[in-house]
Amino acid sequence: MPLADLLAPEAVFPSLRASSKKQALQELALHAADLAGRDQREIFETLLQRERLGSTGVGNGIAIPHGKLAGLPRLFGAFARLEKPIDFESLDGEPVDLIFLLLAPEAAGADHLKALARVARMLRDPAVAEKLRATRDGGAIHALLTATSASDAA
Amino acid sequence: MASVILSNLVLLICATLVVVGTVSSLVAARFGAPILLVFLIVGMLAGEDGLGGIHFSDYWATYMVGSAALAVILFDGGLRMRVSSMRGAVAPALLLSTVGVLGTTGLVAAAAVPLLGLNWLQGLLLGAIVASTDAAAVLFLVRAQGLKLGRKLDAVIEIESATNDPAAVFLTVLLVELISSGTGDFGWAVITGVLREMSVGAVMGVVGGFALAAFLNRVDLPGGLQPILVVAWAVLVFALTSLAHGSGFLAVYLAGLVLGNRPVRGIAGITSFHDAVTWLCQIVMFTMLGLLVTPHSLMVILPAGLAVAGFLFLVARPVVVFACLARFGFSVREKLFVSWAGLRGAVSIFLATIPMLAQLPMAPLYFNIAFIVVLVSLVLHGLTLALSARRLGVALSDPAREPQRFEIDLPGQSEHELVGYPVASGAQPILPGLLPSWAQPVLVVREGHVLSAADAGLLMPRDYVYLLAPPKRVQQLDRVFMTESQIWADDSAFPFSGDVRLGDVADLYGLPVPEVDRQMSIADAFADRAEERVAPGMRIMLGHATVEVRAVHGGRVTQVALRFEGVAEEEQGARERLVRRARRAVARAAARIVGG
Repeated sequence: MPLADLLAPEAVFPSLRASSKKQALQELALHAADLAGRDQREIFETLLQRERLGSTGVGNGIAIPHGKLAGLPRLFGAFARLEKPIDFESLDGEPVDLIFLLLAPEAAGADHLKALARVARMLRDPAVAEKLRATRDGGAIHALLTATSASDAA
Repeated sequence: MASVILSNLVLLICATLVVVGTVSSLVAARFGAPILLVFLIVGMLAGEDGLGGIHFSDYWATYMVGSAALAVILFDGGLRMRVSSMRGAVAPALLLSTVGVLGTTGLVAAAAVPLLGLNWLQGLLLGAIVASTDAAAVLFLVRAQGLKLGRKLDAVIEIESATNDPAAVFLTVLLVELISSGTGDFGWAVITGVLREMSVGAVMGVVGGFALAAFLNRVDLPGGLQPILVVAWAVLVFALTSLAHGSGFLAVYLAGLVLGNRPVRGIAGITSFHDAVTWLCQIVMFTMLGLLVTPHSLMVILPAGLAVAGFLFLVARPVVVFACLARFGFSVREKLFVSWAGLRGAVSIFLATIPMLAQLPMAPLYFNIAFIVVLVSLVLHGLTLALSARRLGVALSDPAREPQRFEIDLPGQSEHELVGYPVASGAQPILPGLLPSWAQPVLVVREGHVLSAADAGLLMPRDYVYLLAPPKRVQQLDRVFMTESQIWADDSAFPFSGDVRLGDVADLYGLPVPEVDRQMSIADAFADRAEERVAPGMRIMLGHATVEVRAVHGGRVTQVALRFEGVAEEEQGARERLVRRARRAVARAAARIVGG
């Protein structure tokens, strides 16, 4: 599944403000709840539960919080670029400023994994991360994220 | 002149049997039939009721050759067992191999006495003959089927099968003596007798193992003689212990165990030689047993034999296992699997030759029933062991593939060995400075040229690198030589703490995880799989995901990384392969046009 299918242009937040991991997750959950028409607390709890098992900070300033939500019709993605990097308990200890949120239906199975792997692989590219950090234009970020994955899935 | 022709004829027959057995094992592997059964059938086909029509009924020769073969097979089992993986398994295994054997003997007797119209001593003798699980068959089936069991479970089954022969042998010999002499002194004699057999066997085995290790390390033998000395020593320990009224089987297993867990020069050569010798022993033993039996006399007793086998495998074994393992913290599934893994093999047939040699009146009956029990076990367990392990959820998921490693022993010392690694074709060049300080690169083979490590510089993909390293630390080198997909792309892994339950991780992503692992913490799952100690870089595959150890503290896994690389890259890889294949085809076509 190309990222364009799960990341809507309005799900990109180019300059989110948050002072802690918890706050960042709360903000993202709020926005996601709006867009997906779900309860904010339910999303926040799901994400928090996942973080308890281990941080989703994958290193190099990137985090990919994710979880499964019963009754979600399809994979849902949101992206936020933080104004100020925050501590995310990542493996490498680096503060995080690029966050990709991924919510999956209960029965997403392999699609969930594929999307996670794809997001991780795209953000791992230092050139992509650098471009994402350099702009506050939501449209440009959306284009960047979906373009990379489009060529990937060709 | 006639004797020369005769001996050549015998050689021809023996060699033909081995060749036929070996080749038919190829066919058997394709159909998933148990290989040991194939050898047995080849023997039966060559025998008096089969195509070969060979009359072979020399129980004495069978007993002798069988003893030697079993000694070698058990020695090999000990050689491959790591003492560190035996933690927590010795006590339950020993209980099974002593009390368990006595219990099985009694239960089988209780069923056989009314069924076959035997008296109690005769029933007990039959029970003793089929009471011991066969180490050779167990080790063989578990390994040949690529079954990976949890460390403790694996160790219990293996140690039980290696140590229960003494009890069964002793009981059999004792009962044969009692029946032939007609005196009925039982009770304490059995218990003290078994204890004496085991303690003499244990002492002589351990002493024999240490002596052999010391000898191999001190004395320089001409190349090629070392493994032969080891095989001869194994048989010697067996024979000497048996003559001293100890259990030769236990002694030879322990001697192998000691040797395999001590630093010994040339151990790689010894184990690879033993690989071949063990195979040969299996072939010889089972083919010989197949020759020995008279199939048409089996048919007469078949219903009774099947009944005994059914009772043994479905009632006696489970009862004994559940009773013996009640207090060791095994789950019901694990106990069920141990019950099912009570394979009977050559030992039972071999024990059944003892009443034959003693010319007991009912001897052919014991022999034929034992033979049927073993046949049933080979077919039934051989076909279902791996399946039942997976169904019961006690089989572990496949461990991740390790990089290819070649180990070469250095003559003259045991502190270092030469190891060779191929640098994977997709890997990044490796800076020699990245290698651990204890590993010393010696030479590099690059495109057919032999370079000194200093001349070679960066280790490039497709190089063969040879290093000197202490044998104990060689495993840690694996990490350096993992292929690209195994090691690079680390920065997209999700970290998990070692305390997290594997089942929770699996549920989160819908990953397949064996039932036995679900309740286990990640740290325990790794501890269960590790042959020696857990080390960073060890991995477990869960479907499309890989769990890799990142950090170890105090011997326990504290942090792991979870990756899904396989999922996305699978598609990409397929695409790249297609492109590469297309390019090659174009290049070939172009070359043909230019050349033609």
